[in-house]
Amino acid sequence: MRQDNIFIALKKNKKTKKFVISIILWIFASFWFIPIFWMLSTSFKSTTVAVSENPPHWIPKEITSENYKLVFAPASGINITRGIINSLIVAVLSTLLVLVIATPAAYALSRLKFRGKNAIFWSYVAILAFPGVLFLVPNYFIIYGLGLIDTFSALILPGLGSTFGVFLLRQYMLGISRELEDAAWIDGCSRFRFLLTIVIPFVKPALLVLGLMTFLGSWNSFLWPLLVLNSPEKLTLPIALVRFSAGWGDPFRGIGPLMAGAFISVAPTLVIFVLFHRYLMQGISLGSLGKG
Amino acid sequence: MGKLPFRKVWWELGTWGFLLPHLFFFVLFIATPLVINLIMSFYNWTLLGQRVFIGTGNFLRIWNDDRFWLAVKNTVIFSIISVPLTIIVGLLIALILNQEIYGKLWLLVCFVSPTFLGSVGILTTWKWIYASYPTGLANYYFNKIGILKEAISWFETSTRAWTCIILTTVWWIVGFSVLLYLGALQRIPPEQYEAAKVDGAGPLKCFWHITLPWMRNVLFFDVVRQVLLAFGLFDQVYFFTGGGPAGSTRTMVYYLYLVGFNRQELGQAAAISWYMFAIVLIFGLIQLAMLTKSIRSAEE
Repeated sequence: MRQDNIFIALKKNKKTKKFVISIILWIFASFWFIPIFWMLSTSFKSTTVAVSENPPHWIPKEITSENYKLVFAPASGINITRGIINSLIVAVLSTLLVLVIATPAAYALSRLKFRGKNAIFWSYVAILAFPGVLFLVPNYFIIYGLGLIDTFSALILPGLGSTFGVFLLRQYMLGISRELEDAAWIDGCSRFRFLLTIVIPFVKPALLVLGLMTFLGSWNSFLWPLLVLNSPEKLTLPIALVRFSAGWGDPFRGIGPLMAGAFISVAPTLVIFVLFHRYLMQGISLGSLGKG
Repeated sequence: MGKLPFRKVWWELGTWGFLLPHLFFFVLFIATPLVINLIMSFYNWTLLGQRVFIGTGNFLRIWNDDRFWLAVKNTVIFSIISVPLTIIVGLLIALILNQEIYGKLWLLVCFVSPTFLGSVGILTTWKWIYASYPTGLANYYFNKIGILKEAISWFETSTRAWTCIILTTVWWIVGFSVLLYLGALQRIPPEQYEAAKVDGAGPLKCFWHITLPWMRNVLFFDVVRQVLLAFGLFDQVYFFTGGGPAGSTRTMVYYLYLVGFNRQELGQAAAISWYMFAIVLIFGLIQLAMLTKSIRSAEE
């Protein structure tokens, strides 16, 4: 009977109901997020405690920042600070170059007429269905042939040929009205100026999405940098972390600093997600609409 | 008269000017690699120097390579389990997030943000959760609730290792699908549900007859995307098992990595990648056939 009363009370008060459901879902969602909590918790414990304490404590008994100090002290020969800077340089340059190169190409493929346009557009779309692994071996060979092994160019340049961004921007640019373009022609506006003053402001949300995806893709990239990077001062953060953890025979012997490093690698992404999740959602459903 | 063609040519050149920078990189890093990959697969090709034409030698060798077919089997089984699982979990989470609730951002951070987090951070953490110590998180809680009697090594048997890989994968990548599905859910006109309610349809019926048909395109897109993703499985294997025990978690990409970059047999690696392409193509055609069939049966 008591349960019935609760349900009646809930039905009476819609706001209470919404609130109760929200709390249940918050708790459920927090369980899903446990790995991140565990990473953060371990990063503030000394390794000996983390490995041996039974039962494991979610909130460390003794909070220590020694792991973070250890990560940033280049004692092991692997410089994580350098890795962060390298990752940032590569990600920012990749993002800027992708935007600068993909935007005019998308403009040409959506608004301009020229011979071979359809052939190029369809080969751009078709290539999206090819598994990335087809390009792994030959691209390694090309990068090797160009003498770019162990350089930042090896990380940045291959991504510039990706057609995903061109496709995304093109879908967005198709939405610009013909009348607007005709009016610009009559005013004697050049194509380049039309692109700068009308098209780019119009597709700003898509540019933001493409920029975010490129930045995160580069920041997280693992297999390709693992293959082409070698010297310690050029490593990106993910590869530096792997080398860092390889310093201990048993990886868990260094679990404290490793979790500190892991948290450092995911923290920027979490911040970006919180700030820009609206745009990411919008852009992702837009990209799928075109293809689906 | 001579002026007109000149202007036309100039105009056309300008058009190409917009496209060329991208086209240059497309040709250099997408089109050329495809051709090189094809040529490479017919050669005994190592990174330093040696290049001998051997015809279909690489393809035959891989065809008769049991380790390759084991990797194919592993990858296909992984896809068949993980893709539907991710889609079901993704649909459930999307339906949850589509409710009217307070503080939706926290739910988005928990369910969706992991998909944007990098492999090193995520996989080292999961590996730490799966630690073989009695104090490893998975061991500790499974012992506490009595499912396990003692601490176990999670990657020791192939079933256990795959379970760990699949769980982690679903947890990690489902967020992207959730975003896709949420977008689709929000495009369904609410009148449809209101009309169904008037007709006395329950939530399950609404889901089956309104939600799913409206999401069909997005679901199909997501299946294709996820199959491509599943066939590229590498990072989880690299971090968790290194292909073990006894090659039972070796995937196609992991095998290609071993052949191409550890043994530096680029020709053989290229042949492997063409086999992979063929397998993906077959999978894609099966999916297409199934989709057309389901559309036809829906139209009847």
